[in-house]
Amino acid sequence: MLSGALAAIALAALVAGVAGAWSPCGFSMVDTIGTALGDVRRSTMTLATVTFTVGALAGGAVTFGGLALVGSLLGGGAGGLRDAVAAALALAAAAADWRGLRIAPQIRRQVPERWRWIMPLPLACALYGVLLGLGFTTFVLSFAVWALAGMSFAAGSLAFGLIAGVAFGAGRALPVLWIAPRLRREDGQRALDRLALEPRMWLGLRRVDAIALSFCALLLGGAAATAAPAPALSHFGTDPSAAGKALVWERPTTGGWLARPSGTSRIPGRYPAIGGGRFAWIAADGAITVAARFPAPSPRVLPTPAGASVDGLAVSRYWLVVRDQGSHGVANLFAVSLADPKRRVYLQGAGLPGAIGRPSLSGSHVVWTYSDSLRSTLYEVNLATGARSILLQSVRNVLYSNPSLAGRRLLYERTDRCAQDVLLGSSAAAAHARVILTLPSIVTRDPGYQPGYVQNYNTASLCHSRRTGPGATTTLGPTALGATTAWVSESPPNAGATRILAVAI
Amino acid sequence: MPSEERRERSLSDEVARSSSRRGFLERLGGAVIALAGAPAVTAALLPADAQAEAYTNFCGHTYTTGNCPAPTGLPRIDRNGYPLRASDGVPVDDLGRPVNSRDQPVDAQGNVLTDADGVPLAPAPRTKVCETAGHDYRVDLSLDGSWYRCCGGTVRRIRDCCGDTNVRINGDAALPGYCYPGRHVFCVTYFETSMPC
Repeated sequence: MLSGALAAIALAALVAGVAGAWSPCGFSMVDTIGTALGDVRRSTMTLATVTFTVGALAGGAVTFGGLALVGSLLGGGAGGLRDAVAAALALAAAAADWRGLRIAPQIRRQVPERWRWIMPLPLACALYGVLLGLGFTTFVLSFAVWALAGMSFAAGSLAFGLIAGVAFGAGRALPVLWIAPRLRREDGQRALDRLALEPRMWLGLRRVDAIALSFCALLLGGAAATAAPAPALSHFGTDPSAAGKALVWERPTTGGWLARPSGTSRIPGRYPAIGGGRFAWIAADGAITVAARFPAPSPRVLPTPAGASVDGLAVSRYWLVVRDQGSHGVANLFAVSLADPKRRVYLQGAGLPGAIGRPSLSGSHVVWTYSDSLRSTLYEVNLATGARSILLQSVRNVLYSNPSLAGRRLLYERTDRCAQDVLLGSSAAAAHARVILTLPSIVTRDPGYQPGYVQNYNTASLCHSRRTGPGATTTLGPTALGATTAWVSESPPNAGATRILAVAI
Repeated sequence: MPSEERRERSLSDEVARSSSRRGFLERLGGAVIALAGAPAVTAALLPADAQAEAYTNFCGHTYTTGNCPAPTGLPRIDRNGYPLRASDGVPVDDLGRPVNSRDQPVDAQGNVLTDADGVPLAPAPRTKVCETAGHDYRVDLSLDGSWYRCCGGTVRRIRDCCGDTNVRINGDAALPGYCYPGRHVFCVTYFETSMPC
């Protein structure tokens, strides 16, 4: 989700909350708190204002955050569709609010008046705040509220929902905070009267909402277009590699493909890679092929390692990194200088197939993972200087895999017993990356107790991010990192049906 | 858990806490009575059937110390302390994936899992459940003593994961359990023997 869209959402939610002041409950709240603000009980009333605000914030967070959470639980992996649905909702609500259409469906309910009499005022106001913050327990005063609810659900992003919810709650509290403290003064009364007598202010706010929602729809629509896979990517594919606006990938049965703004074309080979203005692939006869453009009338052919087959490539302007697999199961990772192919840098060897992960190259920096039963490590080597560093390492619980490097930006996957995460950060501080995509782990988990016995004290055995029973059916695979998009392979149990997902970043 | 039951279990924990070796007196008493040739009295005074006890979380585990965090839930381990899937005893790595003897992830038929290119998936760390719990909770832990109980037709070895700690994984006071003197149970694991019972 774009940060601009989040800002627009926050503004729309805030204004939608403020617009709620024109509801019966909105007026009641100002009056309930404001008229009791006497000198004698000022501290109590101030506390009531605070509790009302906290309640409104919490209520908003619960409603919109909850909807987002439910949306996220209904499944991920359709970021483009989600953004498109959210954009459509925003646009529809913007049109309706701009025209000032009568709100429908309307919720003709009010907060319980008796709370005001039977409870301490701060407590009653806290509960009133919660009800108003929830949004749909009392009158709705703009279509934006409905749209925000639908958008939170469609976005399936807890951050989205919480931002919308907190902003909405703040909006509901603002009129109270603004008017209630001075309601016993003339200017306060005047302000309240103006609210009650000026529906044009309410309509004006709805128009502000419409503008914010339109802006939001615009950004979300753009994100949807960015996130939507290129047509060819709707088919199965894996091993993405990105540079600028170009993306290459492997389609298991047909080999490599290249997608550019000008169109999609087939690469005559497997394991395609792109970077630094170079294309690389393994030709049908097994030769490593490098070209400066594509189609390549006279590509450069590099010798293939003797007695081994290549199953991974990464390329930049001056370097090519090759992962091969010998007939005896020994795998190697090495770099070849494109300026002087005789110059090679040995990077890693492994006696266990699969231990060396797919490499990624940016300039002269190469990253890859090496994992066995003792540790999982994400390495980086500067091929120009030979400097080798460990970006991440775990000796228990965690597997690092499928890194992609673009400049100093680093994309990688982190898998533990509960979840599979895709993280984006910097190679200078890889451990402080942010999660941009998460899936439940694929393993079957028991509930941590045997049926028939007392079940307790086993919370450490559980995963808070997933239920017990069979895990997800999708395994995260190779990645690529573009300027505004991260590309992630997702494999179902049938690995031949692997797809590449685009995630806007 | 109902409050009464919780109180009872807290009381039982308290009793266990005051004992250096759980069950020692019980066994000693049983031996004395048995030697006296009074099996009927033995049966009347001592727990007749271990399976009838109210175990916590899994068969054989008395008292309330929580499970050690394990890759697939229940803290079943092999004889060396590495994790197994509780349902069938298949070795698993720290991610919970079934693995073969080379620690490569495998499918239900034992075939090595591969990616879309046919390259085997990367192995992941496979570590001892007790020691890893210690690392996760910043306590130096190891498997100390054991107790055996009949569970599901085989003898099960209840292995306490112990350390020099007074707090257990539940967050409250730790019990002596089967730990070496001066040490306390942080969390529990179990090993399924091949012995029928």
